[in-house]
Amino acid sequence: MLLNPQCGKTNAELTTDKIIYIKERNISMLKNELILNNPLRRMGYESDDILNKGQFGAVMARAGVGKTAFLVQLALNSMLREKKVLHISLDDHVKKVGLWYKEVFSRIATQYDIPQSGQLWDSVLPHRFIMTFRVEGFSVPKLEERLTDLIEQDIFKPDMMIIDGIPFDDSVNSDLIKLKTLSKKHPMHMWFTIRTHRHEEPDPNGTPLQLIPVADLFEVAIQLVPVGKQIQIKALKGPGTYGDQPVLMLDPATMLIQDQA
Amino acid sequence: MKKDIRSVRNIGISAHIDSGKTTLTERILYYTKRIHTMHDVKGKDGVGATMDSMELEKERGITIASAATYCEWLDNEINIIDTPGHVDFTIEVERSLRVLDGAILVLCGVAGVQSQSITVDQQMKRYKVPCIAFINKCDRSGANPVRVVNQFKEKLGHNALLMQLPIGLEADFDGVIDLITMKAVYFDGDKGEKIRLEEIPTDLSQTAHDNRENLIDQAAMFSDELTEAILEEQEVTDEMIFAAIRQGVISRQLTPVFMGSAYKNKGIQPLLNAVTQLLPCPLDVENQALDMDNDEQTVILSNTTDKPLVALAFKLEDGPYGQLTYIRVYQGALTKGDTIVNARTGKKVKVGRVIRMHADQMEDIDTIAAGYIGALFGVDCASGDTFASPGISLTMTSMHVPEPVISLAIFPKDNKSEINISKALGRFTKEDPTFKTYVNAETGDTIISGMGELHLEVYIERMRREYQADVTTSPPRVAYRETITQHAEFNYIHKKQTGGAGQFGRVAGYLEPLQDEDFVFENRIAGGAIPTQFIPACEKSFKTCMKKGPKMGFPITGIRIVINDGASHSVDSSEMAFQAAARGAFLQGYAKAKPVIHEPMMKVVVETPTEFQGAVMATLNQRRALIVGSQDEGPLSVIEAQVPLSEMFGYATNLRSVSKGRAQFTMEFLTYKQVPHAIAEELMKKVVEEKKNVA
Repeated sequence: MLLNPQCGKTNAELTTDKIIYIKERNISMLKNELILNNPLRRMGYESDDILNKGQFGAVMARAGVGKTAFLVQLALNSMLREKKVLHISLDDHVKKVGLWYKEVFSRIATQYDIPQSGQLWDSVLPHRFIMTFRVEGFSVPKLEERLTDLIEQDIFKPDMMIIDGIPFDDSVNSDLIKLKTLSKKHPMHMWFTIRTHRHEEPDPNGTPLQLIPVADLFEVAIQLVPVGKQIQIKALKGPGTYGDQPVLMLDPATMLIQDQA
Repeated sequence: MKKDIRSVRNIGISAHIDSGKTTLTERILYYTKRIHTMHDVKGKDGVGATMDSMELEKERGITIASAATYCEWLDNEINIIDTPGHVDFTIEVERSLRVLDGAILVLCGVAGVQSQSITVDQQMKRYKVPCIAFINKCDRSGANPVRVVNQFKEKLGHNALLMQLPIGLEADFDGVIDLITMKAVYFDGDKGEKIRLEEIPTDLSQTAHDNRENLIDQAAMFSDELTEAILEEQEVTDEMIFAAIRQGVISRQLTPVFMGSAYKNKGIQPLLNAVTQLLPCPLDVENQALDMDNDEQTVILSNTTDKPLVALAFKLEDGPYGQLTYIRVYQGALTKGDTIVNARTGKKVKVGRVIRMHADQMEDIDTIAAGYIGALFGVDCASGDTFASPGISLTMTSMHVPEPVISLAIFPKDNKSEINISKALGRFTKEDPTFKTYVNAETGDTIISGMGELHLEVYIERMRREYQADVTTSPPRVAYRETITQHAEFNYIHKKQTGGAGQFGRVAGYLEPLQDEDFVFENRIAGGAIPTQFIPACEKSFKTCMKKGPKMGFPITGIRIVINDGASHSVDSSEMAFQAAARGAFLQGYAKAKPVIHEPMMKVVVETPTEFQGAVMATLNQRRALIVGSQDEGPLSVIEAQVPLSEMFGYATNLRSVSKGRAQFTMEFLTYKQVPHAIAEELMKKVVEEKKNVA
């Protein structure tokens, strides 16, 4: 078989490897533009993912403030960079979670005036997998079994996992330790939502009660705080904690992350 | 036939496959004394359920065609349409819902709200059919009506209202507690025909009271009288509660939930009571027609017999005595000997025999009044046609008919079969608007197309059985489409001077991708560059080009064509010349517009016991599926995926083998998506080969 002298590959390999179709090039340019426009880049995190493999991040807020919308934006940002996101929901059904993504994506597409949003959506969709459990039916071994199925059969190997709706009660500590092991075994970082309550006073540093017993396990903690008519994105732990970064807001109308500057 | 229309109920029984709706219908017919023995769907006696009258239905244990029947309960007349549960036969479900005033949604007490229940529920919403729910199979292991009610609320968004509570569950399921009368209801006798009312068992008393409180609270939202009675601490009567709940049901804001086990003959009679007490009569439902003389303005029909006739033929069947047309009268009355007009064809028809159907038996009647369902003999029409009194130009709103997504070629085995095939196809296309047939002009093959593999399989089987037409089939073919991906300009001159009158025409403009629509033609010619009389010729020619794409011969969709310049010749330009010029312009522009092939993507939902989840995902993955997600539902897992239709052939067998027959799936058309390059190249090769073979 004839090999190409420059790269040592056959022509057939070249056709599948090297050709970038014009339409795909446009899509990748669009993706880059969106990635560069992501306001989270200005929050002082070293990597685009905020977390490194094996690390945990928490997004905390009261019910209805926008935890899921915030995480969906982090997920979409990863998906644009062709990272795989496994979204686990203990509250909502697959359809509802899917709608969150579609809605947030279409708002981003409108905000940045993306002409081929349909094609872009089709290109990011394979990077997401939604898994839902009932709260009472969820357990880490069960999740690990499902995850192993996906990875071993080469169906989906996540780079990032979102766990939305896990109750941060007395039993969560042991679950989190098991999840930490899982995140190292199948290298990925994990984001969690933590629901806080109005009547519960945080500690003097502002850390919500639910996070205090398990704070060591988390490298990054972000709180969404309603300030007047806006929702401020406040870093409680990790980079951006010391107020030297620009203030980010969650626009309550679109639920999109905005740089106030 | 009852004189008082208020005592008439036209209802359907809709559900997911295998939830037991045919068994339920069988029990209803037994208790209403329409039949004297009960048979099971796949019963040992080999008789099969009464409503499954087609031989094929009995054999496969599925309900294919909706059979209409009527029965009487507590002086009410109930017309029941039994509907199929497979997505492949959705048009049957939709047609039934179109003519119903209310429905019983059957849910499986074990499996709960399944994918097909969601489809059926959406259809009910589309046609605004009020419903009550029946949780069946409460005697089965794993039954949990409370969980099903929660799913009903969460997944289908119904404001579900528990009307009963189970007494015992699974093997211990004994009866139900009626939360309105606050009595325990037991079903004695060999066939559950003897109803025994007792006091509520003490261990369930508190739960029953709590649930009754909740029931009254929810019902009070729909009745001022009931609210007042509660606030003023007056006696709350059963009638008040029923009236309030009925109000909620009719406005589709409340769905009362009943429970039982059709197979064990438990809970059917209270459900029948509920049909008469809670579901609307034809007077409660507003039906609309379109006035063809008045720009299709909607007209509200009156539901009375003194107005001119408006009726809808919703189903055709080829019976031993000729074509049987199921009909629902919305206004006026349809009487033997009347002359009526088919609104679609404008043909006058004389009404011959008027009958009332009971599965495959019938009863002659003289007239079908507004609000009733009946059938006619010897009327030539297609399914979905409206019949009206002469001089009336009303037509019922058209029914939603999806485009077919799969086709295959059929070949008769002998001469006799060839004749019979054409008879069969004529009949099937009239009966079912989603089943289409045509002859491929290039190959001369007879092509049939429909909504899925099973859909076509059933028709082929019916050809064999009912028409003695033996056919062989080609592998199924997918309805691919071509479209363009970018803007491209064209400027084409058609010039011919070969003696005689010459031909001249120049067409210039551009074509571009279009979303949501198949074809848009825009004329932006200024200054008469192309004379106005030739513009329609250009449009016609573009439309013809759309039928067969230059890339691979598939129909083209999603194109906007704009013409903005051109030239003509005072002598040599003609319609024919501009048609040729437009064709040339199209081919020129199309080649530059990066055409691609699109394929139908199906939304596939698989329900599988959790232990087979991994294996099932693997089967989907092998079929180029995009797995959207998986949902844990206790013992079951629901996997949702988007799969190209071309990869779904034979999936039922594959799924059965990996799940030991315990997983099931539903499939419906989702959208068209671009075929990956590698697959498109393979397709291209196939097309080239086929063309060679034809040549």
